[in-house]
Amino acid sequence: MTSKRFGIITLVMVMMASMIAACSGSSGKEPASGDSKEKVTFTYFNATAGRDINTNETRIGKILEDQTGVNWKLEHLVGDSNTKIGTFIASNDYPDVIVPDGTIDKLLDAGAFIPLNDLIDKYGPNIKRVYGPYYNLMKAEDGNIYFLPLSAVVGDYLPAPNLEQGAFWVQRRVLKEAGYPKIKTLDEYLALIRNYAKKHADEGLTGYLALTTQDRFYALTNAPMHLAGYPNDGGTIIDMKTHRATDYGDMEITKRYLKELNQLNVEGLFDKSSFVDNYDQYLAKLTSGKVLGFFDYRWQAGQALNNLQEASKQSGNDDMEYIGLPVVYDQNIKDQYIDPSSFVNNRGIGITVSAKDPVRIIKFFDNLLTDENQILSNWGIKGETYDVDKKGRFYRTEEQIKQTGQDAFRESFGFKYFEYSWPRYGSGSTLPDGNSVGPGRQPEVARMSYTEGDKKLLKVYGVESFSQMFSAPDERPWYPAWSIPIAQGSTAQLFQQKKGDLQRKYFPRLVLSAPEQFDAIWNEYTTEFNKLDVKAYEELITKEVAKKIENPGKK
Amino acid sequence: MGHSSPPPVTISLDHLPPSRRTGFRGFMHKLNQQRALVWMSVPFLIWLFIFKYLPIWGWTIAFQDFKPARKLLDQQWVGLKHFHFLFQDEHFLRVMRNTLAMSFINLVLGFVTAITLAILLNELRQIMFKRVVQTVSYLPHFISWVVAASIISTALSADGGIINEVLMWLGLIKEPILWLGEGSYFWGILGASEVWKNVGWNTIIYLAAMTMIDPSQYEAAEMDGAGRFQRIWHVTLPGLKPVFIILLIMNIGNLLESGFEPQYLLGNGMNVDYSENLDIFVLKYGIQMGNFSLSIAAGMFKTVVSFILLFSANHIAKRLGEERLF
Repeated sequence: MTSKRFGIITLVMVMMASMIAACSGSSGKEPASGDSKEKVTFTYFNATAGRDINTNETRIGKILEDQTGVNWKLEHLVGDSNTKIGTFIASNDYPDVIVPDGTIDKLLDAGAFIPLNDLIDKYGPNIKRVYGPYYNLMKAEDGNIYFLPLSAVVGDYLPAPNLEQGAFWVQRRVLKEAGYPKIKTLDEYLALIRNYAKKHADEGLTGYLALTTQDRFYALTNAPMHLAGYPNDGGTIIDMKTHRATDYGDMEITKRYLKELNQLNVEGLFDKSSFVDNYDQYLAKLTSGKVLGFFDYRWQAGQALNNLQEASKQSGNDDMEYIGLPVVYDQNIKDQYIDPSSFVNNRGIGITVSAKDPVRIIKFFDNLLTDENQILSNWGIKGETYDVDKKGRFYRTEEQIKQTGQDAFRESFGFKYFEYSWPRYGSGSTLPDGNSVGPGRQPEVARMSYTEGDKKLLKVYGVESFSQMFSAPDERPWYPAWSIPIAQGSTAQLFQQKKGDLQRKYFPRLVLSAPEQFDAIWNEYTTEFNKLDVKAYEELITKEVAKKIENPGKK
Repeated sequence: MGHSSPPPVTISLDHLPPSRRTGFRGFMHKLNQQRALVWMSVPFLIWLFIFKYLPIWGWTIAFQDFKPARKLLDQQWVGLKHFHFLFQDEHFLRVMRNTLAMSFINLVLGFVTAITLAILLNELRQIMFKRVVQTVSYLPHFISWVVAASIISTALSADGGIINEVLMWLGLIKEPILWLGEGSYFWGILGASEVWKNVGWNTIIYLAAMTMIDPSQYEAAEMDGAGRFQRIWHVTLPGLKPVFIILLIMNIGNLLESGFEPQYLLGNGMNVDYSENLDIFVLKYGIQMGNFSLSIAAGMFKTVVSFILLFSANHIAKRLGEERLF
């Protein structure tokens, strides 16, 4: 009896299974409409944190909707980008457009983006104008273009006046008390901190802090590379002559940095909680004004630095603000903190296979890439968020600078949503009339936005902008090496994951150990490190670097 | 009182109840008789099939080098490769140890604290106080782990965290301890956090079970001169035994599910040797690296082990003549 019952149940199951199979696989694509300006809402996912909003609720978004009829429902990342993108892939159901940040390889691998070549040829004259010079860097191995990067420079290249990259930051009051010395080496930098901490021993100050949480661990591991005089090439440094990539995870430069931190820890100047704090706790500590120095990238510590800036503008006292210094190991090393002008070809925006109307999306993209709309999304509206002087130079009044610097305004106006993660003129681009595309790089604006404290500092150090304290970047056609795509499931990828695990485990031990144990732990770490397939990773990067040297973009 | 003798029972083959008929005809007959019930259960069968059985098809992924958005026939079949990777990775043993240890700690602590609290609450005569304690103790259950983890790491913080402050004030330690930075503390912290978060919630089922105990048993025990503790020992605890055994069997089946959020949120490089469990391993080497096959292989492994554990626990309970699940 049981076997028969089982038979019937099986029969029912098979029937249902066939029903389900018949139902699926019938959803076809809706026909694409081309020229209509009919109102439509597309979906957009950005793998960085932000507020979810309809673009037509912002000023810029509304104007763009009037031009094209297209509104975007923006969704931003909550939590871990790998997990979120993985879920998209597993369900094979995507938003119309994705800006996947660091997870772009996964989407390409899954075939999530449609090729854009034909669409651009037919509907994208402006896209062709902007991205044309970089085509050879944008094409995948099959010759197709699957996404539009965000860093295609148009016009002459204009360097940034304010620091946008990594640096060793120090509180201004520390420099002030020491009489504004010129700081070049790590020893000088640490001595500065030590002296100040010693003089103010009873104020509960933290000498030095590191950011180590989850995906931001590189803020700890990248520092040795910069100290040794290299720009941010990720996990490797690339020799200027031989162009060979070397993973510096087990090199002397890393050991030296950790040893310095170990010494700071012994002296009670290193914040032990660095290794358990999460990102919010880290930002809170920086904002508290108790931390004298730290290494990080401007964009990562930005929230805290901006808050301090706003506070100092209100109080008129900039003691708690930080200044970024180009610190290196030795006097004879040239610092290379500032990014060489570069084309990042593993970040960008792509149209997914789920997109209902790729033609209208590509037309929207194309429409964004006119001079007028680039001015709109960067400078805003003439007479409101910027003005033009008699010579045709764009500028902002003090009032406008204040307004456009506030987060709430940047959101409601739409700068926050349109400045960056769209097809755009890359940072450093200039308009035909010589104005900078980004207000931040317009010298008039930069000068205007400096506070009294800023001006004083600049005067003391004899420079006109903060980035002038840093050396100009050398030519590196491969830069940035971190943008070299690493295939899913490859040995190089596995190596990166395992190296990360290993360093997360050993670096805290190295920094917090008793000094006499340091060498033993270091040896243990390098033994483990060399068991991993570091060769596969280095060779991959070396090979790709050679390719990029052979086949550069525009410049 | 006179007994009337029962009427003699005659058994004739013609009057066999229909259910005793054997074979297909019998089955159909019974089916027909209970058709209303059968129809009522069909939607649930369909639900069960779609959500619990169809996904098993996905297990095939474990034997492929799975690439999403590719048809089944285009996938590359690799046999047991992913299982080999899983079991041969040196991580794996440590990850298994952590998973089982944390599960076991949670299991034991969970039962002991929940039953103790339930008994204490049950003995309370002051209803208001009982209500307040119950509500307060189960409130943390509704806090998401993300928030709870922030509370815990703030409380354990080395600069100004309440735990360190209290211990220093009591003079038990001289300088703040970096609680989350010491691997060997992690299991304890996790166990305590789980208790804090879930003890109130877990008592509910025991409190419900206690109301099912016949009050006359307590009265009888009192008549026989049993004190409070004796009543708890001889009446309440035995009354809870069936519920306890059932829950135990179910939890044993879940031994490989030691949780994900608390370990992920409280874990860091310094305690990774103790905090990394199977789920986090799968997240790191499976999902984050786009290796869905490995994730599925680990999932299969978990299912199979859970199955074995569940059946053996159930079997043991059956042997011992206790309540059991099925």
